Amino acid sequence: MYKLFLCFRYLTRKGIVAFPILAVWLCVMMLIIVNSIMTGFVNRVRDAGRGLMGDVVIESSDMAGFGHYRKLQSAINALPQVAASTPVITVYGLLNLPEWGDNRPVQIVGIDSVSKADVTDFRQSLFWQYKAPHQAVADLGGGGFPVSGRQLVARAKVLYNKALAVENRRQKRLLAMPPIPPHAWFYGMREHWRQIAHEDFEQSVYRLDRADRDLQFARGLPPPAVYKSAAALVAALVPRDPSFKPPPAAAYRYDNPKAEPKNGIIVGVDMGFYTRDRFGHYHRPQVVRFSPAILTVVPVTLKGTLTTPQSGRFMIVDDSHTKVFTVDRRTVYAPFKVVQKMAFMQRQDLLDGGVRPARCSQIQIRVHDDGNPAAVLAARQAIETVVDKFERNHPQMIMANVKVKTWDQMQAEFIHAVDKERDLITFLLGLMSLVVVVVIFLIFFMIVRDKTRDIGIIKAIGGSEFGVGSIFVLYGLLISAAGALPGLIGGVLFVRYDNQIHDDFLWRYFGISIWNRKIYVFSRIPDQVDSHAVAIIVLLAIVAGLVGALIPAMIAARQDPVEALRYE
Amino acid sequence: MTGRGVLLELTDIRKTFRTGPAEIQVLCGANLQVGRGEFVALTGSSGSGKSTLLHIAGMLETCDSGSVLFGGEKVSEFSRSRRHNLRNRSFGFVFQLYHLLPELNVLENVLLPAMVAAPWYDALLRARPRKKEALELLEELGLAGRLSHRPAELSGGERQRVAIARALINKPAVLLADEPTGNLDPRTGQVIMDLLARLHTQLNQSILLVTHDAVVANRADRIVRLADGRVEPVSTAESK
Repeated sequence: MYKLFLCFRYLTRKGIVAFPILAVWLCVMMLIIVNSIMTGFVNRVRDAGRGLMGDVVIESSDMAGFGHYRKLQSAINALPQVAASTPVITVYGLLNLPEWGDNRPVQIVGIDSVSKADVTDFRQSLFWQYKAPHQAVADLGGGGFPVSGRQLVARAKVLYNKALAVENRRQKRLLAMPPIPPHAWFYGMREHWRQIAHEDFEQSVYRLDRADRDLQFARGLPPPAVYKSAAALVAALVPRDPSFKPPPAAAYRYDNPKAEPKNGIIVGVDMGFYTRDRFGHYHRPQVVRFSPAILTVVPVTLKGTLTTPQSGRFMIVDDSHTKVFTVDRRTVYAPFKVVQKMAFMQRQDLLDGGVRPARCSQIQIRVHDDGNPAAVLAARQAIETVVDKFERNHPQMIMANVKVKTWDQMQAEFIHAVDKERDLITFLLGLMSLVVVVVIFLIFFMIVRDKTRDIGIIKAIGGSEFGVGSIFVLYGLLISAAGALPGLIGGVLFVRYDNQIHDDFLWRYFGISIWNRKIYVFSRIPDQVDSHAVAIIVLLAIVAGLVGALIPAMIAARQDPVEALRYE
Repeated sequence: MTGRGVLLELTDIRKTFRTGPAEIQVLCGANLQVGRGEFVALTGSSGSGKSTLLHIAGMLETCDSGSVLFGGEKVSEFSRSRRHNLRNRSFGFVFQLYHLLPELNVLENVLLPAMVAAPWYDALLRARPRKKEALELLEELGLAGRLSHRPAELSGGERQRVAIARALINKPAVLLADEPTGNLDPRTGQVIMDLLARLHTQLNQSILLVTHDAVVANRADRIVRLADGRVEPVSTAESK
């Protein structure tokens, strides 16, 4: 009992212990922050990748793709684990925007819009047709991804409430350039503050503008009971939407055979058509949407050689933000059938009377219970069995290097690299945290020297070697716990408010921008506290305190009491 | 010794200190007996080994040869934990430089040996009675108003009284005092000696007091002198 009592007294009455406590505190906090941000980053990348390709993918590494995919799809869809599947074609080509004089190499992905929406989160990645619903209503009239009336109403209600809140705030507060605060006393900060004030103003205008449009749209909504179908909703809403300017006739309809240009394409959001502000918002000039584009596909023969490039006229109807930068930077999505034809992957009648079946590059599959990794793996196994059997039953099918992989396996290389990077950084910072052990050791060494006479006294009144040693070990434990606890709280709180700290403090008051949203794919600093990792960090910090205190404690325990009492 | 039973007996104690190649033999066959309830003053010139003999008697230091008997039992044969217990419960130390823990206040300093003596559960259960005892002791020593003061806030005499209270809290059989008045002015020294003498009478404790002050030594029942590493009798209460 006296050991604990003395520990507390030394802890509360010796100012020098603030240094090791501070060292442990900062180290724990730093490790939690770094680990959480890296974990958040990995998980965001992982989620984005999963939303892009579904749960299981059958893919051919050969650019020629594989045939009989419809039969294969039917066989797979018959599996109880499978919820939906969609064929995808991936080829390379060129995108030319004649009005802009822009020409660039791209990856062209042929998708079937309806089944793609069932398998992946692709629809949610579209701006005009998903994130701006009043425009989506307009687009429903001109083709595009299906949006049900119920979905639209639910979304409009949310936007309506949000818009009302913004409207109320706007009425209460006059939008004006905020005054320069007194702390911005030196020239550089005054300039920085002016810039921030300007950006804030622009940001407010941007938000209000969007809210206004959403509000107008939402106010125009008739009661939900009116709708029986999406078409009825469109009929009810389109005339009431004041911001709606219909595109010229059905010209821009996605996948409309009668339209000229015939088909729409969707471009990746990071292809460079849009600018991005400091807050991560994309500014979409109206000229991009509905711009005519010429897409050239470079087909590959079954032997792997290039053949005549095929070009076609398209119209940009939307943009996709999958949050995977490498995808959003160079991918153009076009109707599956069109791409298949341009890439010579459609069904072909051969001169010898035979038939070459239509081909695709991938079949993307969504499974039931997709939140359960074991269920996904089991589904992959079942699908692989079907594919193997299918291959045996269709020897004539063109099927080169077909593999069945889960979404995790598909992006394993990248994800594992980031995973390793996270572990490496945490480990390196952990090594740096050895400084804590050294700091605790040195301070404890000083404390033991300072307390030499006390050690003699404790021994004179009957304290044992073990007892004296325990005092200093306990003392180390208490110090590391006293540092680890606020470190834990501080780290978790920092992670919780990291975006606010970054924007409203570091950037606003010091002009420091670590997470530049113009550059990073994610508009917010990704963060996710991994409770397992946090527990290990805290435990290691406490062990570090014990290790640091151990040698000084042993020195104290072996101290000769008479010499200790004579110590000056 | 005067017919009382022997409590502490040191026989043929030898002790040599080595400083580099030099060897200083401080004690060469010292014999000393302290009876139950006896007040013995150990005198001698500076460096004669008085404090060393006191430390050996209190098991703070070991001797090169000879034996220390406490209550008739040889302490060198005791286990380490029994020696710690014995030092905690049967010996009370009072030092010339007080040796109080600076982080603790008066009450905490006095209670510390009681806390060392008690297992944790006992410390919790008996915390209040021990505190009451400490308060009574401090009141008796005139320190009731200084309970929450730290040693740095006390005078020399007050510190020494706290040290005495600390030595007495476990009601030890022997009080070992190493020049308790050596750092005090004569008047305060006199007060401390009066206090020791009073406590000795009240509690009937054995006291082995080291001093080179003849006035202080004269308060003892028996005076012995350490010279040339051996203990020689100087006087007894009857001869005084």
